[in-house]
Amino acid sequence: MKGWQIRKRDADLERELQSDLELEEEEQRANGLSAEEAHRAARRAFGNTTLIREHIHEAWGWAPVERILQDARYAIRQLWRAPGFSIVVMLTLALGIGATTAIFTLVYDVMLRPLPFAQPDRIVTIEEKVAEWSNLYPALPVSANHFTFWQQHNRSFDSMAVMQQGSVPFGASGRSLQVGALWATPGIFSVLRVQPELGRQFTVDEAQQGHEHVAVLTYDLWHEQFAGDPHILSKTILVNGFPYSVIGVMPKSFHMPSIQTMATIGSTNHELPIGILVPLAFSKERLAEEMGDLNYFGLARLKTGTSIAVANAELNALQHTIAANLPADEKATLSAQIMPFQEKLVGNSRQPLMILLGAVMGLLLVGCVNVTNLLLSRAVSQKRQMAVAAALGASRAELVRMAIRETAVLAVMGGGLGVLLAASIVPGMQRYLPPALNFRGPLHLDWVGVGCALFLAVLATLAAGAAPAFMISRTAPQEVLHSDSRLTSESLGSRRARRFLVGTEVAVSVALVLMTAMLTASLVKLMDVDSGFTTERTIAATVNLPSESYRDDQHRAAFYREVLERINGLPGVEHAAFTSTLPLTAGGWGLMARVTGDSRPVTQLPLETVRSVSPQYFSGIGLRMIAGKSFGEDDWGKNLALVSEKTAKTLWPGKDPLGRQFNLEDPATEKPFTVVGVVADARTVSLAKPDPMLIYVPYWYRCESMGGLIIRTHQDPSEMADAIRQTIWSIDRGVPVPTVRALGGIVADSIANRRFEMDLLLLFAVSALFLAGLGIYGVLTYSVSQRYREMGLRLALGAQRTNLYWLILTDGLLPVGLGAVAGIAVAFGSARMVSGLLFQVSPYDPVLSVGAVGVLLAVGTIACLLPARRAAAVEPMQALRTE
Amino acid sequence: MAKQTPQRANLLQGTLDMLILRTLLYGPAHGHQIGKHIQRTTNDFLQMQHGSLYPALHRLEERGWVSAKWETAPDRNREYKYYRLTDKGKKQLSVEESQWKQMAEAVARVMWPAPEES
Repeated sequence: MKGWQIRKRDADLERELQSDLELEEEEQRANGLSAEEAHRAARRAFGNTTLIREHIHEAWGWAPVERILQDARYAIRQLWRAPGFSIVVMLTLALGIGATTAIFTLVYDVMLRPLPFAQPDRIVTIEEKVAEWSNLYPALPVSANHFTFWQQHNRSFDSMAVMQQGSVPFGASGRSLQVGALWATPGIFSVLRVQPELGRQFTVDEAQQGHEHVAVLTYDLWHEQFAGDPHILSKTILVNGFPYSVIGVMPKSFHMPSIQTMATIGSTNHELPIGILVPLAFSKERLAEEMGDLNYFGLARLKTGTSIAVANAELNALQHTIAANLPADEKATLSAQIMPFQEKLVGNSRQPLMILLGAVMGLLLVGCVNVTNLLLSRAVSQKRQMAVAAALGASRAELVRMAIRETAVLAVMGGGLGVLLAASIVPGMQRYLPPALNFRGPLHLDWVGVGCALFLAVLATLAAGAAPAFMISRTAPQEVLHSDSRLTSESLGSRRARRFLVGTEVAVSVALVLMTAMLTASLVKLMDVDSGFTTERTIAATVNLPSESYRDDQHRAAFYREVLERINGLPGVEHAAFTSTLPLTAGGWGLMARVTGDSRPVTQLPLETVRSVSPQYFSGIGLRMIAGKSFGEDDWGKNLALVSEKTAKTLWPGKDPLGRQFNLEDPATEKPFTVVGVVADARTVSLAKPDPMLIYVPYWYRCESMGGLIIRTHQDPSEMADAIRQTIWSIDRGVPVPTVRALGGIVADSIANRRFEMDLLLLFAVSALFLAGLGIYGVLTYSVSQRYREMGLRLALGAQRTNLYWLILTDGLLPVGLGAVAGIAVAFGSARMVSGLLFQVSPYDPVLSVGAVGVLLAVGTIACLLPARRAAAVEPMQALRTE
Repeated sequence: MAKQTPQRANLLQGTLDMLILRTLLYGPAHGHQIGKHIQRTTNDFLQMQHGSLYPALHRLEERGWVSAKWETAPDRNREYKYYRLTDKGKKQLSVEESQWKQMAEAVARVMWPAPEES
């Protein structure tokens, strides 16, 4: 029942009693009593009205509520009298609960919140596995050919679809807008169980080549670009320069997570939200490719009652059939892997999130331990009060209630502040969501998060309040009341408990500090690693060519040639180069190089990552040439290639690769490539690991519609952005230029997630250190004040003040040392979990471990010094006289 | 705590509820009226304790056997809290009545056994 209701009913009751009292009075007067006598008689008849009200409250079932309110009022009064203690405890709890709630909200959103589709647990992703390539790619996207076969023969799935994500130039020419697009087979609608809100979905016929120029818009795009035009269905829009008719608009609630496939490797704009859905139409040649086309993201809906294991087994049987029928030169061992959609999207984000959650809970634990410590000190001083209550007949349950009420109020207030804190932190965590899962709109604290905070507050009350409550409830009144209060010092058991708590605090703090140190060391090493390329004064730009006006490699290459020429002519430009893939944004496409004369099946050929580049690419980003030279613009049209060191060593072990030849496609139809140079191995895919085998082909050989430009300048790159855009648009206004930014920024972005993890852990570790220091200080200060007389006695008996320092220091540092050892043990125990996040740092690094313990000892010593000084400053005579 | 004069009796547990319900059978009444009615009807044998009357009234209200409403008394210009019997209350009254009857008869059989029939 709510407070105001209680008050209202109570006022009602008072009014009732009052009116009846007056009636009684009237009656007595009518019996002939004087006004005053009547008044008194009526009062007598009614007896104790407060008691009546209490009985009635009991009947209403409010008694417990009232007791709680009364307890709360009492506790608040008590806490008000000790503002320092209350504020420290409240802020500690607020910090712990707030931070844990914020991280939990992030974890919940990424890993637990169901995807916004009907029965999301039935939606699974399908990946293929090719045993021969498992070293390079443990799992691969789906081939169109295999997908068609599965679709015809499976019994496990209600529906299946394959898709690709990318971005396309969009709108009328002259407007250079880029939107995210999803090319999907028609099954997508039944897999996700979504329907356009307006119009219809595309049909199987529309997923045939020549009929695929239809589009379904998302609600957001419909509103942003067409102002929610109700007649949109009859309209034609330009996608990639081609006219598409709009056949549908998705409901507002439809949002599609980001998916990755081999084909989107090379695109730097995964984050661009999907704005249009268009049919994925396969060409005859594509459908005929049995092994060279593992390019599509596979999504399916399991039939009700079919388990993932069953579906997996069936799909693998189908894969076996496909593999058995492969032609001799494409022999491969095929299998498949089914995974819940959500799990696939979470991917590598799981581990760091779990570590952050663990760390923040460690912080909360340290906070609770601290609060317990503070409460214990308070409990000792309240012992007398409790003893009196016990002597007056308070039951043990009542004593516990008395003991825990302050904690409860503190936890409620701390929890409330924590919720506020979390609510203000959570929106800022948006940018740390993994891109694949950042599609649900703004991140905010919701009821799940608040529930988590409440749960933590209750837990904190129990955890922090239990020990003091236990201690108090065991108070033997005679013992306390008989002994002189000044002589009572803390019991041995309680002191042990407090030391244990300090040890726990220190252990958690050491583990946190050590983990933070390891991540920091990793990040430093990662930033320091020789990437093999330079970023100074270098700008990276991406360009997206509409397919209508740039329909083949020749047209696209000619455009880039023109762009490079004009940009090279700009004042301040040193080099301008084209690359199909900007450094650290993606890999590139994979192909099997067949050295001339090699007749092994395709799957036994080494798989290389191929990039198409313009001649000045290597000098543009400072990639070192080991042998030979780059091709030049005067080689236009020739099939020349450069290979990385690793590629050269694999394809021609022990031989000079220069002048040797290989094929990337079918030797029967393609002129072979001639190697003209060897490029040093670098780290252009990820700073964390060396590049795979790379082959560089000239941009006139292959040129995708998405491309990157690398521009080295003499001046500050930030001033060049406009000039570069204008130069590109001076050739064609219809070409979107989605990004122009410093290459250094792209490098920084590639390690942004690690930096985020480190920053958060650093914050947690510093907080834990501070709290641990506070805890040690609190315990020792208390202990010194309890041992005041002992100190005086020691001094009177001739102890030196340095002896006292030493005594307090060892007393305080013993649990710190033990805790530190336990913390290192914990950190080592969880090493396997952390090691995946580390770069060139061992989870057992002795220097870092010793360092973490050292930091804690330093903090511990500082926390001990103040109480020790107080102990040493004791005046012996005064201390003894207080007896 | 209640002072007892010899000619006044303590109510048996639960009896008060029944008496209140029975009183309300005549029509709505406020607390004072109910108390006085019981007292007068029993020639002051049952002295109403306010300390038990009001909690009983609220208990009955809580159980839905009576409903309460502030109404102006017909003979004076003031509002009183009038209790009235609900349908549920009427049923309860008949249940309690029959239980009371059984109880009284059972007690009577023990206390004043009927002469044995031969």
